[in-house]
Amino acid sequence: MSEKQLLKGNIAIAKAALEAGCKCYFGYPITPQSEIGEFLSLEMQKLDLGYVCAESEIGAINMALGATATGTKALVSSSSCAISLMQEALSYAASDELPIVLVNVMRAGPGQGYIYPSQGDYNQATVGGGNGDYHTIVLSPSSVEECALMTYRAFYLSQKYKNPVILLVDGFLGQMAEGVELVKNPYPEIDNSSWILSGANNRDSRKIHSLEPNQDKLNNHIRNLSAKYKEIEKNEVDYEKYLCDDAEIIITAFGSLARAAKEVCNHYRKKGVRIGLFRPKTLWPFPYQELGELSKKIKIFVDIEMNLGQMLKDVKLALSSGAKVSFIGKPVGDWLKLEEMIQGIENIIKENQVASL
Amino acid sequence: MQVYSVPKSIKKDSKFTFCSGCDHGLAIKLVAQVLDELNLREKTLAVASSGCSVFLYNFLDVDCIESPHGRAAAVATGAKRAFRAQKQDRFVFTYQGDGDFASIGLGESIHSALRGENISIICINNTNYGMTGGQMGPTSTMGQITTTSPLGRNEYYHGYPIKAAEHIALCDGTCFSARCALFDIKNIINTKKQIKHAFECQIKGLGFSFVEILSSCPTNWRLSPKDAHKKIENEISKIYPIGIFKDKTNDN
Amino acid sequence: MTTKNFIISGAGGQGVLSLGVALANIFMIADKFVSFCPCYGAEMRGGAVNCEVNVSDNELFILQNSKADFVVAMNQLSFDKFISKVKENGTIIVNSSLAKINKTRDDIKYIFVPLTQEALKLGNIKTANSIALGILSGLLGNILFDNVKKIYKKALKDKTELLQKNLDAYLLGFKYIKEKECV
Repeated sequence: MSEKQLLKGNIAIAKAALEAGCKCYFGYPITPQSEIGEFLSLEMQKLDLGYVCAESEIGAINMALGATATGTKALVSSSSCAISLMQEALSYAASDELPIVLVNVMRAGPGQGYIYPSQGDYNQATVGGGNGDYHTIVLSPSSVEECALMTYRAFYLSQKYKNPVILLVDGFLGQMAEGVELVKNPYPEIDNSSWILSGANNRDSRKIHSLEPNQDKLNNHIRNLSAKYKEIEKNEVDYEKYLCDDAEIIITAFGSLARAAKEVCNHYRKKGVRIGLFRPKTLWPFPYQELGELSKKIKIFVDIEMNLGQMLKDVKLALSSGAKVSFIGKPVGDWLKLEEMIQGIENIIKENQVASL
Repeated sequence: MQVYSVPKSIKKDSKFTFCSGCDHGLAIKLVAQVLDELNLREKTLAVASSGCSVFLYNFLDVDCIESPHGRAAAVATGAKRAFRAQKQDRFVFTYQGDGDFASIGLGESIHSALRGENISIICINNTNYGMTGGQMGPTSTMGQITTTSPLGRNEYYHGYPIKAAEHIALCDGTCFSARCALFDIKNIINTKKQIKHAFECQIKGLGFSFVEILSSCPTNWRLSPKDAHKKIENEISKIYPIGIFKDKTNDN
Repeated sequence: MTTKNFIISGAGGQGVLSLGVALANIFMIADKFVSFCPCYGAEMRGGAVNCEVNVSDNELFILQNSKADFVVAMNQLSFDKFISKVKENGTIIVNSSLAKINKTRDDIKYIFVPLTQEALKLGNIKTANSIALGILSGLLGNILFDNVKKIYKKALKDKTELLQKNLDAYLLGFKYIKEKECV
């Protein structure tokens, strides 16, 4: 254990990446994530590792394709509108089964938008912005400490499943600092010797490709990918429940906004209204089953997001019959204030005639 | 006495699937011979890209990765940097068409040359987009009739083609930039020599090395293989001169 | 102290973010939960800048508050902008070298100190933020000087002269609030 440090989310990610054995970073500047590249530019050069100030985000993510194909852990970070530029290569990485770790420190969109924080890329990250039948694993931290822990997890899962992983971070969380003790990487190394491209020495030559003119082979490849995704859905769903056991209302939220939602729960508990929080830590795979289970006895849900209701669709899919969900949100800028969330929930309580107010 | 054998860097029993008279097969054979001669096969990573050039990985018996269209230089950059970070001495080259290298991927291409990435690039220039059926590309010559310049390329409507080898030679990170052709024995021998020299630049760690190869596309040019090669000899090589545009190994 | 919120505001170059970071660090090594949230934007020297620091004995859930217990305003612009963000019975520390003395609220405590002039007297205009930290410390009463020294040393490393100047500035602010009648 190291001593406690005051770290920005972005720096925590960069430090954890090095600790996880990341040997290459490729990036292009964009606010609010530039600190990741700035920090690693010096550290990686000191260690004689692979750091490239790429000519564009397209260049950066494609460099990561090349680096990960050699069995080297590589990190790419960027933000929203520039993540859009990377979608082609992400689709390739999914098909090629290359373990790229991509950090998206979200800003406001659509288009250029602005650097205000937002959670507007939930859809792009979870549904996928590239072409074809594929999924990327999406992890959502809610604190600086989790930024580091989930960076470890992102490298681990990417290697374990040979799949790109997106760390989806609120711009706010990337920029804010908290006191954290960085722990060591808790995950084991995954043997990649069976597939990496390191030169055909004492073995047959290998090729990594997504192009497949043979229809049957292409179908099989996509079905195999799909089977892998099912495996991920079965094994890797992760979530946090806060005061859910006796709750009569459940808030759903992700990222740093979910933390603020805990204070909403505390506020109402003091007034005798039992509110709990359900926070997905993996946005893909989404915890449909666990949320569905909760909705068998609890019928009132409130989804809170810094967008206009993107995760809301997944929450609706998860809920069992009879349960209903309201939405509180705004697209960009200053995070929803405690008072705004409380006011929103006040109305929902009235509508649903929940007792003990 | 055996006078000829298939290079060991070519996969056993492989048959080229290119159109008859296409120079891709010959270019790949020359690359394979050079890999053999420099003992590179076991430590090579080849980067293929989109277009006819992608089939490289069906014929070369080395580790290969296919890159998205135009991004081969970026993929090669990432791989070479990763090998270096892992303290592994590996050889990385790309094999791309002119549309891939000089149009959609021009940003990646020029910037890897400017950074002096220690990689080698073979660019097959056949003055059109071959795989998609012969559309106008960045290297289509003035007056050339293609499916998207049916009245011939002109400066008013389409603008001008790019001379890749000369542009790459202007980049400070470039160690070697040459153009060659495959229309007769003399030029085939010269092409192999330039490929070998480019690969040796990388082995010596001298930076970016580039070879542009003027190649035939009889199918889309609507010519016989013989006439296609005549066209390169008499017309195309006059527009795209054969030669060495930069060679840092000559500097003392 | 359960939870205390601070807003530090001023112009780029006045050490606004450094003050916020120092404050958060000082409480962090005193085993408090802390968060530091800077405003961020296109880089511009002299542009408006502010940050929010939260300190608590308990885990922090709310990281962006509508109001703060303490506001430090290093210039007129930030004084005007953040006066409404002071909690009822909260305190605003205003750099009266760069802002006019003007009391528009009667439910808060005003502390006007000519931070820039005092810093100039000390010989380094850049120590104005440390004077403000000393004032905050005097008001809070729970900051250990040893911790301040530790954090300053870490931040300024081998710049011993600057370190001493900043510690002097801190102590000046601390004594200022203890000894002088404020406007």
